This record gives sequence, C-alpha cells and structure tokens, in this order.
Amino acid sequence: MALTGRAGLLAALGTLVVLVAPDPAMAVLGVALLLAALVLFDLLFAGGVRDLRLHRDGERLVRLGESVTVGLVVENPGRRRVRGVVRDAWPPSAGAAPRRLRLDVPAGQRRRLVTTLTPTRRGDREAVSVTVRSLGPLGLAARQGSHLVPWSVRVLPPFLSRKHLPAKLARLRELDGRHPALVRGQGTEFDSLREYVVGDDVRSIDWRASARRSDVVVRTWRPERDRRVLIVLDTGRTSAGRVGVAPHPGEPSGWPRLDWSMDAALLLAALASRAGDRVDFLAHDRTVRAWLSGASRNDLLSSLVNAMAPIEAELVEADGPGMVAAVLARAKRRCLVVLLTDLNAAAMEEGLLPVLPRLSSRHTVLVAAVADPRVAAMASGRGTAELVYDAAAAERLRGERRRITARLRGQGVEVVDAPPEGLAPALADAYLALKAAGRL
Amino acid sequence: MSAVAAPSSVSTAPTARGVWRSGRGVLVVALLVLVTALAPVLLSSPGTAGRPLDPADPSLSGGKALAELLTRRGVSVERVESVAAMLAAARPDSQLLIGDTVAMTEDEAREIAASGRDRLIVGNAAHLGVLAPGVLADDDARSRSREPRCSLREAAGAGSAFIGGLSFTAPAGATGCYPADGRPTLVRYSPDGATVTVTGGGAFMTNLRLAEDGNAALALNLAGARPRLIWLAAPEKPGPGAAGPSGTSLGDLIPDAVPWAILQLAVAVVVVALWRGRRLGPVVAERLPVVVRASETVEGRGRLYRARRARDRAAQALRAAAIDRLAPRLGLPPTAAAEEVVAAAAVRTGREAAEVRSALYGPVPADDAALVALAAQLDTLERQVRDS
Repeated sequence: MALTGRAGLLAALGTLVVLVAPDPAMAVLGVALLLAALVLFDLLFAGGVRDLRLHRDGERLVRLGESVTVGLVVENPGRRRVRGVVRDAWPPSAGAAPRRLRLDVPAGQRRRLVTTLTPTRRGDREAVSVTVRSLGPLGLAARQGSHLVPWSVRVLPPFLSRKHLPAKLARLRELDGRHPALVRGQGTEFDSLREYVVGDDVRSIDWRASARRSDVVVRTWRPERDRRVLIVLDTGRTSAGRVGVAPHPGEPSGWPRLDWSMDAALLLAALASRAGDRVDFLAHDRTVRAWLSGASRNDLLSSLVNAMAPIEAELVEADGPGMVAAVLARAKRRCLVVLLTDLNAAAMEEGLLPVLPRLSSRHTVLVAAVADPRVAAMASGRGTAELVYDAAAAERLRGERRRITARLRGQGVEVVDAPPEGLAPALADAYLALKAAGRL
Repeated sequence: MSAVAAPSSVSTAPTARGVWRSGRGVLVVALLVLVTALAPVLLSSPGTAGRPLDPADPSLSGGKALAELLTRRGVSVERVESVAAMLAAARPDSQLLIGDTVAMTEDEAREIAASGRDRLIVGNAAHLGVLAPGVLADDDARSRSREPRCSLREAAGAGSAFIGGLSFTAPAGATGCYPADGRPTLVRYSPDGATVTVTGGGAFMTNLRLAEDGNAALALNLAGARPRLIWLAAPEKPGPGAAGPSGTSLGDLIPDAVPWAILQLAVAVVVVALWRGRRLGPVVAERLPVVVRASETVEGRGRLYRARRARDRAAQALRAAAIDRLAPRLGLPPTAAAEEVVAAAAVRTGREAAEVRSALYGPVPADDAALVALAAQLDTLERQVRDS
C-alpha cells in the first residue's frame, strides 16, 4: 500500500478541527479513526494490482546514440477500474523516459504505455520490473505491486565511421579499375587483355599479344579477391582506458579504447566485404569473448555489431600467447590478421611481442592502436615548470610507443597508431595499401 | 517479435502471508526492544527521582530518615510546599527549615524574616541576605568531615560532621562552627529575637549521610531545637514555569487544545513521511563499467616528476623526443651518434655547434626555470630545422 499527499493534507487539516473542537483529546482520536477508515475504504475499493496482466512489444535493437520505444500493454481482467501511476524500471544507462507513466484502465480493457529508451552505453539492457500504484476512489491511499515483464534491448555500436565508407569505396573502385577515370586497375592479379586507348600506361602494353594481333593490346589487372581478413579485438585491461571525446553526452571522461577499436573494425569489415574478402572476427583477453566466422557478405555487418554489442573491457591482463594460439587455431589459410590493441610498452613486451613472430611468419599482421590526444596535448605544454614536467612525462610515453612501433615494424608487422577519430580511416587506408601492393 | 509471443508478466507484489512471514522477525525484535526499554521505567518506583532535603523522600538524597527520627523524638514535623502555608502553620514554638531547593520571591523572604520565627537555613538558599541579614556567603567549600571547633552546644555535642558547601562571613556576635579555611560553614546568631542557623550545605541531613560521624546528632540538635518543625520542601510536582505578576504562567495562557493540536500535527507529519517515503518500485542496481582515463598514468608520472623535481629525467625525455623528431628531418638514421646530429643540425640552422650541443646533449638544468628554458630552446631548434 501507499499513502498520497491528500492523506497528509487531511491529517494536517485535522489540526484545525482539534484546535476548535470542545474536547481536543476526543477530536484527535476521531480524526485518526476517520483517516484510518477512509484509507481502509480506499484500499478496499482500489483496483487490484496483482491480477493485472502485462506484456511488452516493440524494438529489440538500437544503435548507441539513437532512441527506441518499447510498448507496455496493461490488461485489467479485474472488476474495478485501475487508475494511478506506473513505473517501468530500466537500468539507469538504458535512459528510460518518462520515469513514471499515468495509467487508467477500465475493467476488462487494456491500455498501451510507451517508454522511450535512449541508451548511453553499449550492451544488453534488461527491463527490471514494472511497478503499478493503483489509487483508490478518494485518492487517499493506493495499492502497489510489482510485476516482472522480461524484455531486453541490445544496444549496438554506433558505427560512426560509416561516413568514411563512400570515400574508401571510391578508392577501392580505383584499385579495381572500375572507376570512371581512365586508370589502370592497380591490382596484382592478371584480369584480361583489352585494346589500348589513349591515356593507358604504356608500360602495361603486352607486346607479345600485340604482335599476334594487328592492334596494340594492354594487360589489365585487378586486386586479389576472396582473401581472408581476421579482425582480432583485444578486450583486456588496456582497452578499458578512456580516450578522446565520447560521441554522445553522458560520458564526460571519454570513450573506451574498445569502442573506438570496434568502430575502426566495423569500417574495415564493411570495406573488406565490399572488396570481396571474407571477414572473421575474434575478441579475446584471457579467453575467447566472441568469435564470428563465415558470415555472408550481406549480413556480415549486422552479425558483427550483434557480436560486438555485449563485449565489455575486462580488467585482466590480456593473454598474448593465448591470443596468438587462438588465431593460429582458427586461421588455417594465410590471411590478414588485424590486431586492435594498445601499444602499451609493458603489456606488449610481456605479452604479444615475444609471440608475434609465430603469427607474422604465417600471416600478414597489422597492429592498430588508438593514440591518446590528451597525451599529445600534454606533450606540447610549455611555459611553466608544471606543464613542462607533464610534457616530459607525455614525451616519455610517446617515446616508448615509438620504440614498440619500431620493433614491430622490424618484425615485418604493419602498425597503425592514430588518434581516436582518425583510427578508422587510417586502418582502412592501410588495408587498401596492402591490397594494392598485393600483400594479402 | 509480436505482443502475443512475449512472455506474460509475473506479479511480485507481496501477499498478506508473505508480508507476515518477512515482517514477523522484525516485529519480534521491535517488541523486545520496546519491552527492554520500558521495563526499568515501569518496575522502578516513581520516587527514585530524588528530591533533596524533602522529608517525604526516602531516596538517598532525601530527608525522610531525619523526619522519622525527629518524630520519634517527639518533634512534630510538618511538611509544607509554599511560603504562605509555612507562615500560616508557624506558631511561637515552631522552627522553620528552609532548604536551597525551594524557589521563593524576595517579598516572601521578607515575610519570613519579618515573622520572627526561629529558622534553619540549609545551603545556598534563595535571598539568603534577607532570610539571614548580615550573613554573607563567602566561598565554595568542599563537603567533607569537619571538626566543630566552637562552643556552640549543638555542634560541640555532636562532634565531627559531614558538612561543607558554602563558607560564610558571620556578623558580629554570631557563633561560627565547622570552619573551612578559617571561615565557618555553620553560623548561629540571633538578630531581632529569632534564632537563625545557617549551614553551608545539607549533606549531613540526607538519608545517605545521616548514619555517619555525628551527622545524626547535629541534624537532630539543629532541627529538633523546637517542638514543632515546619519543613519547607520543593513541591512534588513542579509548577508550570514562573508565574507572572498577574499570577498566571505561560502554560496557563496556552489553550488546552494546543498540545493536542501539536499531537495531531505530529500525526500529519508521520502521514506525509509515509507518503514521501514510499518508493515506486525497487532501486535499480547496474554493473557499471570502469571509468578511467587512459592518460591517467601519464598525468601521474608528470606529477611524480613535479613532486620530486626530477629535472634530469624530464630533460632526458624532452631531449630524446626532440632528437627522435630531428634525425629523420636531418636525413640521419635513428641510431645516429650525438656528434652527427649536432653537426647536421648546426649546419642546417647556421647556429653554433656548441649551442646546439648544449640544447640536445647538455647538462641537467639547474632549476625549474632552466628546464622551461630548455623546452623552449628545443622547440626553437626543431622549428628552425623544419623551416630551413
């Protein structure tokens, strides 16, 4: 049960009655009894809460930063009207609004209430419970009870970098030779012979074929197709650090490295699948957190965001040898392994660096890391001793990253180290460069 | 996902049986606490509060034992609660006993002094200067066993007694006994015909002390000097505040309904508290991700440098970063020796080699200002190389 403000007001007005009554003691007793009787009446004649039947409908998926509505149908099989308020409780990060809803269901009817969710975080959001407060006819007291109405909404990564996709696809078409411009396909796989037109590179003329025919013939090339790309996401402790500016309000300290890495991975996957390559995805820290393989070209992106959505950064040191073993066990054929991790000197030297040669001997390896723009800003601090000490600390970190990068390149590993917003396009460019060079 | 296929709801509203089951433990504990709190109050007698020097009070600080002893000795003890009643009861063979727990006005004190009856004033009574003219309360004296050291028959006969509280300056012609630091704590004199006895404290007359030393003898001697003793005690139920000039106190002016109205207000406050305190549904807990900025380790390292004034490490980091950036611009491999870098940079910028060397490979800055200057020098050098 619950009381309302009216009951409080009635009790306060009782004070005036007590002041003017001839027998104040009896008046206090009388007011209390009257109040109790009215509250009891209200409780008896309020609509039943326990027998209400609730079910939900609406969306199951939402992209982070967008809103979605979830309906709640309240069916009243009882004999009395149910009038009052409803709270559809969701976890705070689901961003449910409004907090409480008005409800008025006549006996035997049903009403649909709508809650709008604007999640502030990726992952699965489960509805907690629905609490109904049913007011009595006088509005003095209410019956209250909760129902469990399960529902969950999966909040997908926002794929902010999709704005870069058209430009990268245009670049891909240039490689392919299908671009409207008269440029030769820059790929390395022999495609076909065709007649020379003005503007073709004279170096691509096939003299032997030209000799057989009376015309000048050029060779055309196309990029390799049906290669494999394996995106490996490090979900260990270094991926939890927050970097840059979160793309939506609610997270003032920035966005985790993990989310920036996912964004870059999504752009790469979209690009690679359009380029005709097969994309697999592995998330790993000490164990395999997610594994996606063999998704068809059309539903690759949706499968990928679904696989990524529930992944959270784990506060454990990533297991480098375990990760390499997991990759080797899954990638039987030669493929491009894109490792999204951090170039943290301590973590790399103890984890990945010693075992990367096992990987790079069989596959092409590309390490992509999110650089911290705050460190870059600190490194340029000058003027006061405090700022210069901070700049020295930042330079020291950047020196360590340079050292790690140099060691990785020495092992034949490609490295992309870019600030958060720039990582996705930089990774896409690195992929295109590898493709153009025929190194896949 | 259609609405029909969605799983139906499960009510978690508590049933009456569930409420009783979960609440009965709390109820039992609350009852136990209540009983434990109320039992001592209910079991103890109401008189234990202690009314000092009250002939009807059997507690340790009361005076019932003395009153009993006096009655057995044939002295009639009459307990009064107001000055008016005391003066009405006083006859020529009566002695008045006035303790320091009694509140009276100055007019009442004058009336007592004017009545000319013998009086025994115990402790720092109100309007002592009126009740016992000439006797001045002097100083606080610790209550302890003291010797009479005087010729007063009542005191000398009783011997040592537990007395103290106040010491007095006695007027001329008075007898002073039980001195503390040379000043008497008991004064007996006779202004305008009445015998007035003033004692510094009433400890020796209480039920607690009566059996010790010569306390009982002294008390009986002093209080039993006359066949009737009119004992002025504080009222058993204290009056509602001090009465004004018209005889009505603040309590009398407040209508009877007001306390009840306050009670009703309290009920209203409880109802409002129940209204505001009832939560609409449970508190929702959520497992939150860790929020830690990736740059925190760098900031921490910067603070450590700052706290320890680690100019050597700071300068080394700044110089190494500058050399790392300069070497490729000068067309040198990252592993180039110091002299190569210095020579190339000096040639490119046209500056003195010594100057460039002191910037890139010089000594540790002597103070913070030198460190700031070094950072500026490195910036200038890098800019010159870049722009040349």
